Amino acid sequence: MRYDAVIIGAGIAGTTAAEALLAKGLRCALVAQGRSKSNPDLNALVARGLALYLGDEVLSGDIVEGRVVALHTQKLEDVALVADNYILASGKFFSRGIVADMDRVYEPIFGLDVEYDADRSNWFNADFAADQKFLSFGVKNYGQGKVAHEGVVLSNLFAAGEVLEGICSLDSAEKIAASAAEAVSNIK
Amino acid sequence: MQEHSISANNFEQCQKCAICTTVCPVLANNELYPGPKQAGPDGERYRMKNPVFYQETLKYCMNCKRCEVACPSGVKIGDMIQSAKLEYGKRSHIIRDTTLASTDLVGPMASAFAPVANLALSMKPVKAVLDATIGVSKHRTMPKYSSQTFESWFKKNAAAKQDGFRNHISYYHGCYANFNYPQLGKDFVAVMNALGYGVHLLDKEECCGVAMISAGMKKQATKKAQHNVKVIGEAVAAGRKVVTVSTSCTLTIRDEYPHLLGVDNSAVRDNVVLVEKFLWQALSAENVKLVWKEDYKARAAYHVPCHQEVLGWSNFTIELLQMIPGMELTVLDSHCCGIGGTYGFKKENYETSQKIGQPLFDSIKAADPDFVACECETCKWQIEMSTGYAVKNPISILAEALDLEKTMEANR
Repeated sequence: MRYDAVIIGAGIAGTTAAEALLAKGLRCALVAQGRSKSNPDLNALVARGLALYLGDEVLSGDIVEGRVVALHTQKLEDVALVADNYILASGKFFSRGIVADMDRVYEPIFGLDVEYDADRSNWFNADFAADQKFLSFGVKNYGQGKVAHEGVVLSNLFAAGEVLEGICSLDSAEKIAASAAEAVSNIK
Repeated sequence: MQEHSISANNFEQCQKCAICTTVCPVLANNELYPGPKQAGPDGERYRMKNPVFYQETLKYCMNCKRCEVACPSGVKIGDMIQSAKLEYGKRSHIIRDTTLASTDLVGPMASAFAPVANLALSMKPVKAVLDATIGVSKHRTMPKYSSQTFESWFKKNAAAKQDGFRNHISYYHGCYANFNYPQLGKDFVAVMNALGYGVHLLDKEECCGVAMISAGMKKQATKKAQHNVKVIGEAVAAGRKVVTVSTSCTLTIRDEYPHLLGVDNSAVRDNVVLVEKFLWQALSAENVKLVWKEDYKARAAYHVPCHQEVLGWSNFTIELLQMIPGMELTVLDSHCCGIGGTYGFKKENYETSQKIGQPLFDSIKAADPDFVACECETCKWQIEMSTGYAVKNPISILAEALDLEKTMEANR
């Protein structure tokens, strides 16, 4: 399947990005594991031409020479999703956009560079109401949602919303939507 | 979804977000149903402790699986509910449910006496008797049966020439194409032949068993599943894909066999594919060419059947239909039509079934298309009965829009 842009995630960031890209007249697809409470009605986007892959999961992305060239999903099996540009809005721990093991924090689809504290004892604060450091972990932001894989900044994958470092579910919808607008601004 | 759990159906991934509850078409229209969260993971927690906590109201689940598509955590809510029904459910209305579910037992009989059966099933007094005795809703337009089955047509008119093609596939036609609407099978053969594919039947396919699963007939459904996995396996061993036209048969064979019946289909699963995905892949690999009629014009509204939403392949259908020159395609808002296979035929579900479908019926009327495009045979019955608009399977639309002779020449 070929599109101008593929968006991963249907939360505030993903749907904001989808709206903005559709408004640019691009042919867009959106893949999401399920509906998000923040924006459960996706019919309006489909009516505007969005190709929706709901209830599907991106398993991996192929990166060649600093570019994402294809996504592989569980349900499309041997058919890849291919686009000029990609938006990663897969959320943080709740939606497994970011995964924490006992000794590391990682981004599971592409293996992007993630910003986190290597010392696990610093991840959380026993005082529940205090700042919790783990909430700030996320994909390293090289400005306007640009992200890197093994130190190389990718030219056509941009992250938005909670998957990024420094943004979490406690932030306002406006802040999350603004990060989506920044990510989209990379795409002409 | 990927398995992230040690329990079945991703049970412990449920975060209690309740988004499944907001998308359940039954819950919104029938207050007797506890809803997917309660019937699924919440109830499962109790059932694990003691089956006495099983609630008979789980019978109101229509197995549309919209809860699973909506779940952001990959919990197989629908499978959980169906499994509980198969395990603990009491069977009521045994005669009706067995009759409705045994499509390949009733089909041959109804086909043999098709004119009589069709007339009888359309008569008010007969419908009133069925309603009062076995509980089939009298408000429902009953499916028509064909006097010649697809299989007998195929053997007489098409089988002999199938070996002459370049490529070969096997065709799982399902009960509907065989007994109710053989034209669908004929359209399938016409399109596949034009694209250079010889069509072969399996060594006696049986009903996929979807209706038996919803009627709680686990033993009978398991037998069908084992038989189908065996004959599909023979086709796969001969190097053939097994191509299907029904979304529900496809989902049942690929996913319900292992999830609900414990039948291992891993050797064949990935080779069972809906015709729209198969054709899209053949086109994108440039294995086939299409030549369209020059004067074809149509305005169609595509309704995505619930089980197509679960398969996740609706975009293949959309892209195929959009390739047709002269096609003006609207994708309808995602709503369940309310039929749920045999669900809407049951007296106690008729009202819920029509209420569930109302938003879809309204959107079809608002779009006012020439016809509705949809892969599901029971959606077709429901939409045609409730809106008056004709429903066509996408493969039948392709058969109409293609210049079949020129396409055949182009693929020689």
